[in-house]
Amino acid sequence: MCNKSLSADSAGRAPLSERAHRIDVEASDAIGSTTTVNIDGVDVKVPLGTTILNAARKIGVRIPTLCHHDDLCVAGVCRMCVVHVEGFRTLQAACAYPITQPTKVNTATPAVRKARRHILDLHLANHYGECYTCKRNNNCELQSLAKEYGVDYFRFGHPKEPRYEIDHSSSSIVRDMNKCVLCRRCVRTCNDLQEVGCLTVEGRGADSQITTFADKPLASVVCINCGQCINRCPTGALSEQDQTDDVWRMLDDPSKHVVIQTAPAPRASIGECFGLEPGTPVTFQMNTALRRIGFNAVFDANYTADLTIIEEGTELIIRLYKALVNKDPSAVVPQFTSCSPGWIKYLEHFYPEMIPNLSSAKSPQQMFGALIKTYYAQKKGIDPKDIVVVALMPCAAKKFECNRPEMCDSGYKDVDFGLTARELAKMVTEAGIDLPKLPKSDFDDPFGTATGSGVIFGATGGVMEAALRTVIELVTGKKVENFYEHANIIPVRGFEGVRLAEINITEVGPVPDLIKHLVPNWDWLKGATLKVGVAHGTANARRVVEDIKAGGPFSQCHFIEFMGCPGGCLGGGGQPIPTSAAIRAKRAQAIYAEDAGYNVRKSHENPAVLKLYEEFLVDGPCGGKSHHLLHTHYTPRGKFIA
Amino acid sequence: MLLTEQDKEKKLISELAAQHNYQSSALIPILQAVQTQSGYGYVSQFAMQHVADLLGVHASEVYSVATFYHFINTKPKGKFIIRLSRDMPSIMKGAKTVARQLENDLGIRFGETTPDGMFTLEWTSCIGMNYQAPAMMINNEVFSNLTAQRAHLIIEDCLQEFRSHRPTIGKISDTFTNKLTYSEHKANDGLRKALEMSHSEVIGEVSDSGIRGRGGAGFPVGSKWNLAAAAKGATKYIVCNADEGEPGTFKDRIILSEYTDLVFEGMTIAAYAVGANEGVIYLRAEYTFLKHQLETTIEARRKENLLGQNILGKEGFNFDIRIRMGAGAYVCGEETALIESLEGHRGEPRNRPPYPVNTGFNNMPTVVNNVETLASICCILARGSKWFSSIGTPKSKGFKLFSVSGDCKKPGVYEWPWGITIQQLLENVGGLGAKAVQVGGYTGQLVPASHFNRVLGYEDLGIGGSIIVYGQERDMLEIAENYFEFFVDESCGQCTPCRDGNVKLLEGVRLLRQGKCSTRYLNELIDLCETIQLASKCGLGQLSPNVLIAINEYFRDEIMARPVVGQIQ
Repeated sequence: MCNKSLSADSAGRAPLSERAHRIDVEASDAIGSTTTVNIDGVDVKVPLGTTILNAARKIGVRIPTLCHHDDLCVAGVCRMCVVHVEGFRTLQAACAYPITQPTKVNTATPAVRKARRHILDLHLANHYGECYTCKRNNNCELQSLAKEYGVDYFRFGHPKEPRYEIDHSSSSIVRDMNKCVLCRRCVRTCNDLQEVGCLTVEGRGADSQITTFADKPLASVVCINCGQCINRCPTGALSEQDQTDDVWRMLDDPSKHVVIQTAPAPRASIGECFGLEPGTPVTFQMNTALRRIGFNAVFDANYTADLTIIEEGTELIIRLYKALVNKDPSAVVPQFTSCSPGWIKYLEHFYPEMIPNLSSAKSPQQMFGALIKTYYAQKKGIDPKDIVVVALMPCAAKKFECNRPEMCDSGYKDVDFGLTARELAKMVTEAGIDLPKLPKSDFDDPFGTATGSGVIFGATGGVMEAALRTVIELVTGKKVENFYEHANIIPVRGFEGVRLAEINITEVGPVPDLIKHLVPNWDWLKGATLKVGVAHGTANARRVVEDIKAGGPFSQCHFIEFMGCPGGCLGGGGQPIPTSAAIRAKRAQAIYAEDAGYNVRKSHENPAVLKLYEEFLVDGPCGGKSHHLLHTHYTPRGKFIA
Repeated sequence: MLLTEQDKEKKLISELAAQHNYQSSALIPILQAVQTQSGYGYVSQFAMQHVADLLGVHASEVYSVATFYHFINTKPKGKFIIRLSRDMPSIMKGAKTVARQLENDLGIRFGETTPDGMFTLEWTSCIGMNYQAPAMMINNEVFSNLTAQRAHLIIEDCLQEFRSHRPTIGKISDTFTNKLTYSEHKANDGLRKALEMSHSEVIGEVSDSGIRGRGGAGFPVGSKWNLAAAAKGATKYIVCNADEGEPGTFKDRIILSEYTDLVFEGMTIAAYAVGANEGVIYLRAEYTFLKHQLETTIEARRKENLLGQNILGKEGFNFDIRIRMGAGAYVCGEETALIESLEGHRGEPRNRPPYPVNTGFNNMPTVVNNVETLASICCILARGSKWFSSIGTPKSKGFKLFSVSGDCKKPGVYEWPWGITIQQLLENVGGLGAKAVQVGGYTGQLVPASHFNRVLGYEDLGIGGSIIVYGQERDMLEIAENYFEFFVDESCGQCTPCRDGNVKLLEGVRLLRQGKCSTRYLNELIDLCETIQLASKCGLGQLSPNVLIAINEYFRDEIMARPVVGQIQ
């Protein structure tokens, strides 16, 4: 079912310079065997190759780290985690030291304590900025470490002037290198986790700094705006373009009708900003909060997620019909999903020749914007120029997406502002609202509450599962529950980097009315095997695209879901910080739990969507009007920078 | 067909990439070749992206690598890049006067390029010419024994040669050496003897001789070979570390130029011992002028079946050597940084363990040995371990080469058995009455006159071969400032203590020079020195604070008694 050899595993993800650091556990009989390490007098048995850091965690010894991140490969550069290992003259980095034989470690010798404080002193001697004015105030690893390890004054000074100009060029990400501590987590994220290769280290020694190719502004390089670097930055050096003040200004303007659409992933995570456990859904409390902040209407972005399934699914059926029945060479399969703007920009930069594979359907965010300023404006009798559409997204790239010049099909900018979960949390706090304590309230009409299929868009594999629920029912005419228990299509779920699934279409039913004008019957699908793929994180996406180009198993697919961020939207670059595999798993749990709780769990059964086709998009899915409002085109960018 | 400049550059890059089989490990040689062969003298953004595309790496990574190495330019520079050596012996012999002359002649400051695009003026770290300091490089050519007047004439010559399309050729004089054991070595005797033995007998012979690495770290060579021989790997590598960057050393350059064959013979013996079949010599960019000679020697050895298949008739013993040029980074003398550089990355030291003998170049078992180590191995195999271990002291076997420079009458390369005192050394080189001696280069030990009875040997000062003699009039803080400027410049920049700590130490030394450093702050700095020594990732950081610790210990009165600069007393 899953093709592990293709997955971007952690070893293959190591940065070029770290690939050689792989711990070679010599003889094969040693694999799986253990050794004992004594840490601060406590013996702990660990598998060979375990780092001192991980061994210490097992027994509750906290070793401070800064350049270490569980999602990333080892760097061992900040030296915050140095410990004394018996037999060594110098201190060793606990994050990088593999235990291969009985070892005695002391994590709190006077020299270790002094080294920790000195390293913090040295960082603070270069770290420009006041905590009060920093977005990461109270959520900054440098700040916490300074507190924990007794930094009492600026022993080696503190900069009074900024050294670098802040890079505001990108619509999504702000780089303030004055706050950078050169831990290189962003570099490893960009190069090894995402394999985008936008951020790098320039120069050497004290002159080294994190920058882009030829030190160009972020807006003019291959940055895909995924924002994964923000999630892993320990300080405020990387952050999103903050638009909260712009949104406040709109809310404060009585002539504006300000509406917000909320994506599923932030609802499962925003509680983290208010002290709740990861995976605590606060969807309906948040609706109340948004109204109290002053939004005129609160919509569920899952509505357009359901709409996306209808549009993208119809497009797929048309493509397959053209390709399989009409043998039309212009119909390119597999069709790629297009909801993730990070993935879109990645493809535009690195595989512009694959653009024909992309579904022309807009992302749910942009579909919603276009509908609010047309359908909703008409219905409510509001001049669309007075409507402000805000989108709450788990994503940094959505900011870039809503600023794409082609996203003005309503005649206005379809979506005015994309807010990250972090930005909204800030607004909620600023408004004096204690979110977890609020009463629950529902979404506003005419878009209503969406289906479970829309909710799972937030997790990797979710779009595929939602699409399959609909396609299976449309084609077979039978309930998907007949094939998959509780309509849970488990094969496409999970966190493996890439997944491949096959669905045998053994029986077909009549073509539903909605798309009857597009295909005469389903006979051509009878006995066929529908092959689908899922990839999350651009490193995995790259493997799948390369596999397709090489004629591998993914080239046989009909439909592939791509998400730019590891874990899908729930691991998005606009989500609360910190992030880890465990946190992402909990958010996924929340999302699937929410799906299971919905009465309607299939996009094509969403009554409000069906009504839209009756009232507004009267020529049906992929018809003229929907093409104008709900579909788009892409820009081949290439990777060469002028 | 009309080709645009970019088309030409593209064609050149395509050819270079094809020559190197599109291996990303060849990134550095490709960038070097683009720089010289494109005619621009630098690697343009266009070129970097094109190279990245062909080698399958990110353009940002190419940029990152290019900006790491000082001898790769990413911005236009002059046709003649003048690099004046900034090592302490050069400064002592008048490099600053030469610098002023150059600035006045060219009308630019250091770090600038003349408006006509002819000359770029830069300081550079030690270029291995300390015994005939001051010295400078013009492109890859070296000029030594500079005076202000000579510098002026050299610039004139450059211009004339440029106009008449003649190459500029450097001028250096011979280096004084005493009688070296290497001169008695019968060519390839060591290799022949080795091939008569089994692999383990060769390693045994090396172990018995007691020889330890001559690069400075002093790791027992026999043990290193044993580990590499025992390690499993589809292939194994012998790397000769000819990145002689430690300020004040030039003995490897003498070996490379005068005893070239010994180095390759030693590599071949090492290959036989550990079962390697690929060898690389990593030659520092400052020694580019030696490259041709090394290539000729390798070619000659191939013809004589001293390299290649079934060497000297030994069935199944295949080994060949290639040259890899460095690109101006002192830290690449650290073995794991060197390996990173070989793989086409920034020369940043790796985390250890794992060690190169297990996981080295291309993840394969790799032996990295210094030039002198390999040359001495030939003599050990030829004359036996007993002969070698009878020289020196109980803990320090054999002879050692020392590069002597600074305030002494007879600078040069000397061979002595381990165990002589500094006092004896000074007698030999005409340096009696010195104030202090720097033993083992900038990362070594600064020994004051009161400690001249200390012994050169692993029991006391078992370090690399650089000896810099400081006379009575030398300012210890000027020396320390020079050292820290070097370390700040040459730190790779990945680990905090070395990158930021050395900057703080440099600032502190400057405060001391201005008489503005409080005793309390000096104590803070000494404390910081200990952290840098203990917490840095590699030897560079671990050893860089030595000088401040030493002058604080031995010359505290001198450094704290400065008049305050810029303040009325």
